[in-house]
Amino acid sequence: MENAIEVRNLKIRYRSFKKLSIRKSLFKFNEQETFEAVRGISFAVPKGQIMGIVGKNGSGKSTLLRAIAGIFSPDEGEIDLHGHTVSLLALGVGFQKKLTGRENIMLAGMLLGFTEEEVKEKMPEIIKFADIGEFIDKPVQTYSSGMHSKLSFAITAILETEIMLIDEVLSVGDAKFKKKSYRKMKQLIANKDRTVVIVSHSSATLSKLCDTILWLHEGKIMMQGTTDEVLPEYEKFME
Amino acid sequence: MKRFINDCKKYYKYAIYSGKAELKSDIAQSHLSWLWWILDPLLFMLVYTFVALVVFGRAEQYFSAFIFIGYTSYKFFEKTLKGSVRLVAANKSIVKKVYIPKHILLFRKMYVNGFTSAVSFLLVFCTMAIYRVPLTYHVIGFIPLVILLFLITFGFSTILMHFGVFVEDLSNLISVGLRLVFYMSGVFYSLEKRLDSELLRTVLLKCNPIAFIIDQMRNALLYGKGIHWKLYFIWVVISIVLAVVGLRLIYKNENGYVKVI
Repeated sequence: MENAIEVRNLKIRYRSFKKLSIRKSLFKFNEQETFEAVRGISFAVPKGQIMGIVGKNGSGKSTLLRAIAGIFSPDEGEIDLHGHTVSLLALGVGFQKKLTGRENIMLAGMLLGFTEEEVKEKMPEIIKFADIGEFIDKPVQTYSSGMHSKLSFAITAILETEIMLIDEVLSVGDAKFKKKSYRKMKQLIANKDRTVVIVSHSSATLSKLCDTILWLHEGKIMMQGTTDEVLPEYEKFME
Repeated sequence: MKRFINDCKKYYKYAIYSGKAELKSDIAQSHLSWLWWILDPLLFMLVYTFVALVVFGRAEQYFSAFIFIGYTSYKFFEKTLKGSVRLVAANKSIVKKVYIPKHILLFRKMYVNGFTSAVSFLLVFCTMAIYRVPLTYHVIGFIPLVILLFLITFGFSTILMHFGVFVEDLSNLISVGLRLVFYMSGVFYSLEKRLDSELLRTVLLKCNPIAFIIDQMRNALLYGKGIHWKLYFIWVVISIVLAVVGLRLIYKNENGYVKVI
């Protein structure tokens, strides 16, 4: 089976710089600690598979997800997405506050790897799904947090990247939009051509949605296998 | 280098679209909209004409054009450098959620500042026409000098952009430093004619890239003189070295930015 994601000997380190003040610490840039969040892991996710990632807090789950999304670049090893487009669904996309919702849709789409024409084509659908009325042509800085989340979710959900990364279960906007976004997410996941990686602490959600599970512990793979194999072991470990 | 070129190819459309949108939003948010792009250098020119003529009683030939050249070149450098210090933090909503090569943010800033500077340079050519400045083939020197202005600004900005993420009060230091550069670049006076000390004149015109660019641009556009090519290429090399150092710092440390901001 064709792989959508291949991770080989991936290591991600943070140079944990702290904010400095010139007055307090001139020329102390070398005093940096390095923390290895992901410690040489390798795995592959076949195209169309839904993989869950579990692990206790600080095990490297979110770092791994952000590395697959490209936000962190590997310090060692490599991540090969075989040219597939990728988005991080739970976080949505970032906005430039001075610009309108419509302009931000275009920019976010371009950052997700779509062409101007592709985003223009999907624009009406995104605007309809976001359901924020005339605010779409107003600067994002005038949006409420709910409107902000709705537009952000609509962009990543409607642009439909080939690989979707979901960090924790979505909880976006008002009750009506929450239902709509959850339905949309399930529909997106159900697409057999789409590869999905979900990070969650909820075993119930993962057993419902995922085909396989990757269990991370202190930056390394503790276990990898089908949902039925890994989840019971993980729950036992966490008790 | 390969990564830099690939990133530029992949994201240049984003930088241009984003820059255009920012310009549009600047226009929308101001009552006089794009008129400020003309009013700003015009008012500055009037203030410094007053200072030079009334206070010091001295002016240069083609004085309005002389000031426009100095002001436009310095303002592009100043606005870009000041902006670069807080550029990553100012874009944290994007940087934390999707990957964007950080120098693309800088390109966007330079596109916006470059556009407003281009409007300001139109004033230079208008005033040159009004003064009936005799044109020589040296006018072509304007183009390589604009390229050098972009290169040197980019070089310094990449380094400031990196350290600006970690050093909280860097913007204060840069503001003071840029004020010093302003007075040492001959924006509203001629370094060549107004400085008595030969040593100081040589040091400022050769070691301060903005003073060098402004001086050479005035020579090329207004006074029919050619570019000092040897010094020009030295500054091109220095700009490239600064840019390489800055880009390496950014690529090496960008994982850490997400945590700090």
